[in-house]
Amino acid sequence: MADANLPASGPASGETSRRSFLRTSAVLASGIAALAASLAPLRELTDYTAVEKFFQKHYKELTPDEMKQVLERIAREVEKQYQVRPHVRDYKPLDGVEFVYCLNLTRCIGCRKCVHACVAENNQSRDPEIQYIRVLKMPHGSLDVEKADHNYAPASVPEKGFFYMPVQCQQCKNPPCVKVCPVRATWQESDGITVIDYDWCIGCRYCEAACPYFARRFNWTKPSIPKERLNPEMSYLGNRPRRQGVMEKCHFCIQRTRAGRYPACLEVCPAGARKFGNVLDPESEVAYILRTKRVFIQLKEEVGTSPRFFYYFDV
Amino acid sequence: MSLTTKTRNYFVFLWRCGRIAFSGDWRYYAWMGFLSLFVLLGINAYAKQFVHGLITTGMSDQVSWGVYIANFTFIVGIAAAAAMVVIPVYIYGNRELHDMVIFGELLAVAAILMCLAFVTVDLGRPDRFWHLIPGIGKFNFPGSMLSWDVIVLNGYLLLNVHICGYLLYCRYSGRLPAKWFYIPFVFVAIAWAVSIHTVTAFLYVGLGGRPFWNSSIVGPRFLASAFTAGPALIILAMQIVRRVTATAPPAEAARWREATPETGTRRPATLADLEVLGRHLPELGSVPTEARRGIVETATLLEVGPGVILLHQGDTDKEAFFVLKGRVVVMRQEAGRFRITRSAGPGEQFGEVSALAGTPREATAIAEEAATVLRLPVEALRKLMKTPPMNKVVRARMSERLMITDRALMMLRSIVQVSMLINVFLLVNEIFKEFYSRTSHVASSRYLFFGLHGHHALVPWIWTAILFNLVAMFLLVLPVSRSLKYLNLACVLAILGIWIEKGMGLVVPGFIPTPLGEMVEYSPSLNETLVCLGIWAFGLLCYTVFLRMSIPILQGRLTQANEGDNGAARSFRSVSAAHEQAAYH
Amino acid sequence: MTEAAKGQWVLSLLSLSFLGLGVAFWSDLWGHTAKSPPIPLLDTNFISTATARMSAADLVKSGGDTSDFDCYACHERNKPLKLKLNDDGDVVVPKEHENIVMAHGRHHRNNNCFNCHDETNLELLQTRDGRHLKIVESPALCGSCHGPTYRDWEAGVHGRTSGYWKRELGAIDRKVCTSCHNPHAPAFPSRQPAPGPHPLHPLSLSARPAEPGEK
Repeated sequence: MADANLPASGPASGETSRRSFLRTSAVLASGIAALAASLAPLRELTDYTAVEKFFQKHYKELTPDEMKQVLERIAREVEKQYQVRPHVRDYKPLDGVEFVYCLNLTRCIGCRKCVHACVAENNQSRDPEIQYIRVLKMPHGSLDVEKADHNYAPASVPEKGFFYMPVQCQQCKNPPCVKVCPVRATWQESDGITVIDYDWCIGCRYCEAACPYFARRFNWTKPSIPKERLNPEMSYLGNRPRRQGVMEKCHFCIQRTRAGRYPACLEVCPAGARKFGNVLDPESEVAYILRTKRVFIQLKEEVGTSPRFFYYFDV
Repeated sequence: MSLTTKTRNYFVFLWRCGRIAFSGDWRYYAWMGFLSLFVLLGINAYAKQFVHGLITTGMSDQVSWGVYIANFTFIVGIAAAAAMVVIPVYIYGNRELHDMVIFGELLAVAAILMCLAFVTVDLGRPDRFWHLIPGIGKFNFPGSMLSWDVIVLNGYLLLNVHICGYLLYCRYSGRLPAKWFYIPFVFVAIAWAVSIHTVTAFLYVGLGGRPFWNSSIVGPRFLASAFTAGPALIILAMQIVRRVTATAPPAEAARWREATPETGTRRPATLADLEVLGRHLPELGSVPTEARRGIVETATLLEVGPGVILLHQGDTDKEAFFVLKGRVVVMRQEAGRFRITRSAGPGEQFGEVSALAGTPREATAIAEEAATVLRLPVEALRKLMKTPPMNKVVRARMSERLMITDRALMMLRSIVQVSMLINVFLLVNEIFKEFYSRTSHVASSRYLFFGLHGHHALVPWIWTAILFNLVAMFLLVLPVSRSLKYLNLACVLAILGIWIEKGMGLVVPGFIPTPLGEMVEYSPSLNETLVCLGIWAFGLLCYTVFLRMSIPILQGRLTQANEGDNGAARSFRSVSAAHEQAAYH
Repeated sequence: MTEAAKGQWVLSLLSLSFLGLGVAFWSDLWGHTAKSPPIPLLDTNFISTATARMSAADLVKSGGDTSDFDCYACHERNKPLKLKLNDDGDVVVPKEHENIVMAHGRHHRNNNCFNCHDETNLELLQTRDGRHLKIVESPALCGSCHGPTYRDWEAGVHGRTSGYWKRELGAIDRKVCTSCHNPHAPAFPSRQPAPGPHPLHPLSLSARPAEPGEK
């Protein structure tokens, strides 16, 4: 009885057993060869993770000495890749500061200079393109983002009958992205900025699914920055070059704002539509705006994120 | 038994299981080879992804999860549904499905391995997996539902590996499994199975920024569709197992002979025979001598040569048998094919199930080699079972046979039937809620069912899925699906429909339109598809290997007792070969 | 064919398939990601923080050509100027000043030169309440009509700013009105927008970025 569970052959003689042994070994050998060949694409792997980087601790657990070594390592890597010696620092949040961003929808003309100033300041990949800010062209009278046009390209802006709404990370008080990250690679600091530790992120993109504002970006492949456009003033949590497979997003130009300066998007806006500052300081522009202007829009307020981004109209 | 012996036995067990995985007939090699080719294709595609990043897939910032997570979601459901087979057996004491429990749990193990694979290939930085390990990395528990998922999936894997491994190893080493070592785990596994799928649902439900997912119906729908697709898959898998473990009627069947004075001797049993039996069946020692005398009065001892039939399938005689020496194989004939349901060695019993139940014989018992058996009328067996230890061992061994009956399949059918009805009802609920009030939150549903702003890639998919589900539901409800042909059609349609609905029909529309209203569609790239196929092939490969190892154990043909026999060769020796050997001698 | 022979056949076929597959892998025959057309580098004018125009003060500071502000190079002192009006009552800009386009206010409401300029002293500006201001003090003149905007500007809320939000570390750099607004045609100039977003996948079914000039 030929049993389905029997070994394929009961060798009747030494001859066939040798042949079947050879055939079996041939299958095993060719299978192993095919397995080795299937890993052929790994030949192109150049971006090995150094051992020290593999075991690097989470940002919050790095001692000041370890942080110094990490910054040194980053500077070396950037210099090797871009032939530019960068200035990499770790900026801590300032006391008594909570950042808030106000955006004047009467003034925004939709020129997208903020988008590209951000890209230049924060060393974002040019190809494939990463842009933290997305300007929406909205028809008069509606805040329904489904009516937005992301790809407008007229000869000149602003266009009649529309207003423009730039959207970036809202640095929510109740951030859904922080809640869902399985490894706590993203968290909110005391000055309100939600930051990412690029060396801790595992790239699961749960935060990208959770964000109601399309604010988070993923490095789908190795980012490419032209050497001549690299911004050498860098910070660990901010604009140091990222690697393939990690998330990034607007961080309120942490390397500027924690040194007391305005973010790049604000400085380039020709219409002065963007206002930024410390809301806890009653003398700041943002405190003035929140005191005097009457109508504020917090995007998707009903989702409960409590954004720190306020859109307003002038009168 | 010393620790070293126990360890050695265990490693021998593992070694033999491993060896069996590489042996089989040409169909087995063809199937495994076919799957291996796809696994290799998948590894190659993943190597490309590892080097170049996830840009090799069709995903983008707008649609940041694709077929990897879609398949993951579907397969978590399959893993959870293994519990649906366990519940009737352990909570309701159903015997029909008993053998399927192990197959269901092995399916769960293979499914969880696939889930882990799908999640790993979706990570942008899989080299940083250690960040997920609690204690070593930074684990966002209980905040992140993904961290819950890591815990419940791995826990479920360990539970099922323990239960299956323990039961199989006990069966292999001829021991009765200690109830406290697996029954509590079984009940935990039932609750855990529900939780793995609920936690996976909560991954989506918890995202307030995605109104398509942020709905309380997602969790119940997940469970309903899982408990439809899972048992449906088990129904199909069991029929394949039944078919594959059955073979053409042996040519030598014509040479099987009845037990006659020429083929064997018979004489009344004596107390000495019970002593011999007691050496292999220690529980017999607890039967008092008075009872033994009474039993021996009605028992007969048979000594037969190989190839002698001891009982016939379909007969109505009511006797039970114990093997004193040699080996008896019990084979069931179905649709002209023979399948081994158990293999009894010294100390083991056969024929007791139909005797105690008073039903016709379900299989034919043939001596595989020269054997000595004790034949008892059923009243004598009942007397024996009055002693608790004997009762326990006889009852336990009653379930140690590989029976996949049509009745069991019909029981699974009723599970699929009810779950599909609930699934369709929940779908109707969902559609009403989405489309009746027409709030702005309906955009993703509109995209899925009707297309939006000129984009309609998913519309044919979802309507096909709904059609499949409805046809399957009607087939299941109507008595026509009591015939296996239609039942199988309904199962295939249900599985495909639910795979589409839960995969592409849940994950992708949640991203379209984006929270800022942008419409970017998604279709998987070639690389992505190859990785998915590779993981599916890997899962099927695992499941095939698990079955390949467990079926002989459940049939009683791979046991510790025949360990020394030329690496398990003797237990597979065909009856004809044994017959020839016997004739030769 | 016996079962055993079939088994051998299958094994041989498998060996060949594995070898073939291995060769195919090594030759890297499929699975190349289609490359999107390269995204051109951005014209750096788009990230320049320069204002739309230069105010008088900026001009002086940068040492540029201030001859335009030297009124008495052509005009005679103490000779009152008369404006020529056309039939609709609009000011006719003399051809020596034809580079000035008058578009201050709707319906030509504010097109009278001497609403802002002092006709007795062309180097000064005048407000309606009688103040005389130097050209570089023009914000007060603008504010004499545009009150709310002026108040916002003083608080740093209207108009382009740069520098430091943290005053202890540095100053805020505020621009004056005329750095952005041409006093004679103050409507904020429209301009060409910078390029829009490019999709990740070239053949995606998304809306492709519109060509310049398209909707």
